[in-house]
Amino acid sequence: MATATYPPPPPYYRLYKDYLQNPKSAPEPPPPIEGTYVCFGGSYTTDDVLPSLEEQGVRQLYPKGPNVDFKKELRSLNRELQLHILELADVLVERPSQYARRVEEISLIFKNLHHLLNSLRPHQARATLIHILELQIQRRKQALEDIKSRREEAQRLLKESLGTLDGQ
Amino acid sequence: MDIISQLQEQVNAIAALAFNTFGSLQRDAPPVRLSPNYPEPPANPTEDSANFPDQPKLMSAALVKAAKQFDALVAALPSSEGGEEAQLRRIAELQAENNAVGQELQKQLEAAEKELKQVQELFSQATDNCLNLKKPD
Repeated sequence: MATATYPPPPPYYRLYKDYLQNPKSAPEPPPPIEGTYVCFGGSYTTDDVLPSLEEQGVRQLYPKGPNVDFKKELRSLNRELQLHILELADVLVERPSQYARRVEEISLIFKNLHHLLNSLRPHQARATLIHILELQIQRRKQALEDIKSRREEAQRLLKESLGTLDGQ
Repeated sequence: MDIISQLQEQVNAIAALAFNTFGSLQRDAPPVRLSPNYPEPPANPTEDSANFPDQPKLMSAALVKAAKQFDALVAALPSSEGGEEAQLRRIAELQAENNAVGQELQKQLEAAEKELKQVQELFSQATDNCLNLKKPD
């Protein structure tokens, strides 16, 4: 049985021989990558944005534009999906060899649905952030009120005790 | 689970129902006569043919129910007030307000800590007097 050894570790460790004595004699770590990079043969990007449907080669069924009415488009895509499922059922009964086109259209509708839902995510993230900020402001105001009332309580008690001590 | 994840799960559920429907109907359908030239197909009375006519009804009912569920979920989506810029403006406002409240809170906190120190000092002096450790001046 032939066993292959693992490749040896990269030889960079020799550069750090005198690191304990002189930290500057060894090279700095590489700066973080920006933009696109290639990892194990696949190219990735550091820019986390949802790629539009055209970039993935999928036709977009709902109208493009700055503000898409998500609810309306989701509902109309749902209806389209149901109609296409019915069409597929009909095709399988009448002309079974032509199923491929119908199945493609159904998968197109599903891809559009998922892309629409994914494009709601940034909106949701911002709404969550707004909610968290509001909660934080509310908590801070509450703490402020608490501190104020405690201080006044303490002042009152001190004055009272001063009054009782003087009265003695 | 948040509403968007529920919607995504529902879409996947509709897809699963659709392909299960077509798959099992196609697999279990009894043979049918295509043309008068061919003989009648042998009718095999298995348990399929007993329950079989119910399958399309049940499965299509499940599909329609899932689609209605999806519509209900879409209706439950919070309406997106404004757009991206409106949200970003609101975030900037909230951040400014948060900073202001935070600074005031910091001031009050410092004042309260100072008073606490004073009270502690006074208390220690008073106890010293009580215990007659030093003469009151």
